This record gives sequence, C-alpha cells and structure tokens, in this order.
Amino acid sequence: MASSTSQTGLPDLYSRIEELSVSDDGQRRSPYPPIPALYTSRPIIQDSLSTESSEVQDGVIRDCLPFLEGNPNKQPLNSRGIQALQRDNHVEFLKDALEDYPAGFVAVDASRPWIYYWSLSGLAMLGENLDKYRQRLISNLLAAQNSTGGFGGGHGQYSHVAGSYAGVLSLAILGGKECYDMIDRKAMWEFLGNMKQRDGGFTVAPGAEEDIRGAYCAMTIVSLLNLPLELPKGSPARVNGDETFFTGLPEWISRCQSFEGGIGASPGNEAHGAYAFCALACLSLIGAPYEMIPKYLDIHSLTAWLSSQQHAPEGGFAGRTNKLVDGCYSHWVGGCWSMLECAIWGPDTHPRNGKELWSKNGLARWILCCCQGKNGGLRDKPKKHPDAYHTCYNLAGLCAAQFQYVYRPSELNPFANAPLSAAFSWTIQDSNSNGVLETCPATDEQWCWDEKDLLKPVHPVFVIPLGQADKIRGYFEAKGAF
Amino acid sequence: MSRYAGNIVWEGLAPIPQKHEGATPLATIAYKEEYVEAMSYLRAVMAVNECSERALSLTEDIIRMNPAHYTVWLYRCKIIFTLNKSLCNEIEWVNNISLKYLKNYQIWHHRQTIIDKLGSAEGETAFIDQMLEKDAKNYHVWSYRQWLVKRFDLWNQMELDFVKKLLEQDLRNNSAWNHRFFVVFGKPNTSAPTDKAILGREKTFAEEAIRKAPQNQSPWNYLRGIYRQSKESIVELSPFVREFCGINENDLVQSSHALDVFAEIHGDIPETQLMAAKALDLLAMRYDPIRVNYWNYRKRQIEDQTTVAA
Repeated sequence: MASSTSQTGLPDLYSRIEELSVSDDGQRRSPYPPIPALYTSRPIIQDSLSTESSEVQDGVIRDCLPFLEGNPNKQPLNSRGIQALQRDNHVEFLKDALEDYPAGFVAVDASRPWIYYWSLSGLAMLGENLDKYRQRLISNLLAAQNSTGGFGGGHGQYSHVAGSYAGVLSLAILGGKECYDMIDRKAMWEFLGNMKQRDGGFTVAPGAEEDIRGAYCAMTIVSLLNLPLELPKGSPARVNGDETFFTGLPEWISRCQSFEGGIGASPGNEAHGAYAFCALACLSLIGAPYEMIPKYLDIHSLTAWLSSQQHAPEGGFAGRTNKLVDGCYSHWVGGCWSMLECAIWGPDTHPRNGKELWSKNGLARWILCCCQGKNGGLRDKPKKHPDAYHTCYNLAGLCAAQFQYVYRPSELNPFANAPLSAAFSWTIQDSNSNGVLETCPATDEQWCWDEKDLLKPVHPVFVIPLGQADKIRGYFEAKGAF
Repeated sequence: MSRYAGNIVWEGLAPIPQKHEGATPLATIAYKEEYVEAMSYLRAVMAVNECSERALSLTEDIIRMNPAHYTVWLYRCKIIFTLNKSLCNEIEWVNNISLKYLKNYQIWHHRQTIIDKLGSAEGETAFIDQMLEKDAKNYHVWSYRQWLVKRFDLWNQMELDFVKKLLEQDLRNNSAWNHRFFVVFGKPNTSAPTDKAILGREKTFAEEAIRKAPQNQSPWNYLRGIYRQSKESIVELSPFVREFCGINENDLVQSSHALDVFAEIHGDIPETQLMAAKALDLLAMRYDPIRVNYWNYRKRQIEDQTTVAA
C-alpha cells in the first residue's frame, strides 16, 4: 500500500483527494483501500416509529459518519487511510492528567486513585517509561491509606474497594519493592473481609452499596497481593467460621445475569457492559474461564447479548440495549471477549483458526476514527471532550482488538498450585509477530492498524501491562503470610 | 471569611489539615479555601467519631461543595442514625438536592439507607417517577426502584402501569423493559415463570410492541427471556417470526432479530437446519454484517450438531 504521508508530512482528507490517481480505466482512485460500506451507511433495516431513543441514535450516527468516512480533524493517517494512533498527543494528555486540576474539579477529590490508575495504565499501553512517577505515587497513596486497611480517595476519606483497586493496580504498574511494601496487606485483608457480605457479594465501602464492582475489585486485590482466603474475624460473612472470600460469590455473580443474557450491577438490575466485564473477570480470577464461566453463566445468551452491543456503522460498543456507543465500552465489552472465547473454545486455543466472535476491525476503526480527540486524549464519542477514564479504556479496548490473548494453564502459570492463581495463565499469542496477527483469521480482511499504531498489551483480567501482575504476585508469593 | 475557625460553635476542636503528599504530589486539585477548611474539620470530627449537630451541618456544607464525596455521605448517615434525627426531614432535604445531582451515585444510596431505616416507601414511587421524567434510563434510579420493590413488596399492578406509561413514551427504553421483567418474574418464590396466564399476557405484551417497531431489540430480548425462563420451546414463535422475515429472495425482512430467532427455531431440527443456515448467512452478509463472526459461529454450532448426529 502506498505511503500515507503527503508532501507536507501531514496527510489528511484533502491530501487524500490530491493523491487520487488516474488508473488505466480512467477512474480516479484513492491510494487507500476503500472503506467497507458497513462503516459508511446506516443500518439497512430501520423502523419508521421514531422515539427519543431512535432520535439520539440517529444523531450519533450523524456525528460519527464524517469521522468514519473522512478526516475532519486533519490528523495523520496510517497506511489503511484511517487516523493513525496519535501517540505523542495521548502521552501528553495523560501526563497532564497526572498534574494540577483547577478548583472546578473538586469532585475528583473522592476518586484520585482512579486518576493515577487511568493515566498510568494508559501511559504504559502507549509505551512510556513511568519510573519518574514511582515516588510521587507512593507519597500520594501513603496519605490515602487508612490504618484500618485500604485506600480512600485521599487523606481522611473512608477506604473504598474501588479506590483500593485503583491504588493497588497503580502500584503494580510501576512495580518494585518500594511500591509493594507500602501496602499494609494485613490491614487490607481485614478491610476487604469486612466488605464481604453473607449473600456472597461485597459492599464497596463500610455501609455503602453492594454491587459487582465490589466483588471484582476485591478479588483482584486478594489475588495480586496473595492475601489469605479465609475471612478475618469480624467479617459479616463469617457465620460458621469456615467461610472464605469465595463463599457464595460465584453463585451471587450468577444471580446478576439478567434475562437479556448480560450482567447487572446486582441481581435484578439491567444488563450493562461494565458489569459484564466485572462478572467475567471475577469468575476468571476464581478459576479457569472455561470452567467457571460456563458453570455459573448462561453462555448462549451472554454471547448473544455481548455481540449485540457492537453497533454499525459506528463499530464501537454500547453498554446497554438501545443505548449509544461510548468509547469506554471498548474495554468493558471489548475486554470480555478473550475470557468468553476461552470459555467457549477451551484453553490453548490457537487464534489462527477463525474462532473470533466479534469484529476487532470494527472496534479499532471506531477507536481510531471517532474517539481520538483533536489535541490528544480519547473520548466517549465525537462532540465529547477526552478525559483520562475514556483514554484508558479506549486504549485497553484497542489492545483487545490488536492482540490475541491465549489461556495456557499447562505451561505458563508460575503459581499454578496456589489459590486464586487462575488469572496468571494468560499470554499473547507468541507467533512471529508478538501476538499480532497480520490479517483477520475469520475473514482474511486486513487489519485497519499499522505496526506504529500498536500498543503494549495489557493483561486481559488485571488490565495492567502484561507481566506486571506476575511480578507483584511473585513478590508476595515469596513473602508468604503477613 | 472563615466559616469554622473562630466560630464559637467549633471551639475546642482542632482541625486536621490534609497530610503532606510529598514535594510533587500527583493530580492535585486547587481546592477553594472554604473546601480546605471544611475538610480539615471533617477529618477532626471523624477522628474522634463525633456525631453532633455541628458535624451534621458540616456534612451538608461539604456535600454542597462536592456531592461526589462518598465519605461525607456515609458519615452523614451515621450521624443521623446516632442522633435519631427525623428521617422524614432527611428525605425532604435529599429531595431538594436530588434533581441537581441526578447523576450522582451517592445520593441514591443515601436515600436507600434512610428509607430502609424509615420502613416506609410512602411517596417514593412518585418521587422516582419525577426523576425518571428527567432521565428515563438513569441506572442508579432504576436500581433504587428495584430495591424499593423488593424491600416493600411492591410487585403489583401499579409498577406494571408505570412501566407501560414509560414504554408509551419510548418503546425502546430498555430500562423499563428490564423493570417489567423484574416486577413480573423477580419476586422470590413466585409461580410466574410457570403460570400460563401470566406467560401469555407477557408474550402478548412483547409481541404487540414488536409489531409497532420490529427492529426494536428490547421486546425481542424480553420475549426470548420469557422462553428461556419458562423453558418452553420457542418453536411456537415460528408463525410470529414469519410476520417479519423470510429467507427467500423476495421476502421482506423487517427485523434482524426475527431472522435470529428464525435461525434458532430451525437450527434445532435436523430437517430445517439448512433454513437456519440460510437465515444466518443473510444476517452475516446482508442485514447485520458487523456481527459476521458471531453469525458464522452460530452456523458452525449447527453444523457441529449435524456432524454429531451423523
């Protein structure tokens, strides 16, 4: 394919037009492959009944089509003729996100560990060296850590399971003894034990709501920090004394699956993409995905529901039925597939056999064309402003598209016989191209990204750079009990 | 200008300033001075677990400046319970700020905790109706409503009428469809999943909605959810599905979801598996090509069945 750079070095829609060449049959041709009609036309079936939902959906397609068909922000294009990954701009955006906020951002005060996590995780995917943030992160989190265990949003705030998750993941991303040792593991164990409820689930803070985020975040921490599975004395879930963090948990997750096939925040709630990821990841922490997921969830309806969240022409995922695409679901829904495919096809599945269940190209096209902000950072959708949250989860979704994750329990797992070690068997397909496939195995169409658009892969369950999870767990395996 | 320091109400309490976060902290916020001061006093009251009138008014002050502050909500709740404050007054106060903070997570959990303790749902559904008028798909509001139904045994016609009203406004409101399923089938130990009359009523409700907009996925999911739960065979849907699709060249296809169900019905029967495969091909190539891999997978499942049978 012809080079994507024009003479100015900045190819855009206009240079694409200038580069149109006259071919043998007298037709003017673009140097780029044609855009499949799937991404440039409205769905072939549309109801005549108009409601608020269909009106906003129409509006989104109207806003997205210019980005799918052209290059309104005049960004550099890749060899496929779509926006290249604006790596440097995104790096600058996330570095900025770690610095000062004006007073109007006071709401962030309760969730600062999330800001660290989204930014550091995004920077890691973009290939940045993060060493310079280590001391700064430790200082911040020391102030947010409570003596009763866990991290709050900052000094003087109650510990929160989600904040603790974001804090622990941030420390795991940076890695090293100093990061690991600053976590009061015993107190963390007691805090999480106190969040465990008799019905099997977890609350997110003392006296706060119980939902599936609590379960996923708590079990992630227990697994990474190699915490004991038995519950501390005083845990509300400790009735007979032999209960563990597992007790009733998969059954509780099972109750969160709705009649649609997707997963709700808690039993009875509407199916929602973010909670689907929490459910699948939590089950994949407890045991092998091909054992746990079919045992506790109805795979048939789950697959149908996840699949139906991918929209055309946008290419991205929505989070609920009849809702709009949003870049954050690139991860929340996009990240489900590696676990679900493992659940369906079993371990050690070779990716080159056309067993993908979703459109990786559709998602990557959506992220690259529609979700990159003009001046860096990624966003919900065109017309929205980029932020660290959407940047992190769009990039994680791009990882899900670009890499083929394989579950290899037999050869890989360094902690194979230890409890809560199921998630340490993931790798990316070690083919000649570092897990990157040259073409889509199912359809043989070429991927819509170039090598220079490739990210550093994140772990499909822990969502931190592949390898960093093994390091922190290995450190605490060696350390053993408190 | 100070609201707390020098204020006689706050005498005797030494504020606790925010811990130093090192020379170059990450993600610092240029807090307003009034927020910095209020937070210092919050740390101080929380450190000695003070539940008092002045602490209560402090929580209100901080919530006004930062409603996303989960700690101050949880602490406020603790104060209200400890001081035996009027729960009705608290709900009234929350009502006044709810519209302003509609998207806020904490406010709905706070409401739930107070109403749970109060033990009465009086006025609650009317209030929720008002909230949903502003944002008919708000996840927190709907989750709260589901909790309310469960807590106060509201599995009744009023809930169904409410859902119906919302669906008349927007037939694609999936949150309303979810709530209907919850109300009809979610009651513990209910006989609804096997009650022919209820199943019939719900199928008709979904089918009528589909006839109004065949490509609306919500009622299709609802219909399939009913069959999955009652474990009835979806073969009986065959004539209904044919109203919206067919697999022959001249057939009008009004709904990809109908083709999907068509494939499911015909994929289970060896004699009609080719028809199922044809429907899946139509979805993969013409009507729903973004899901080509999924439809091919479904086709392979049918082929595998055939192989096993042979």
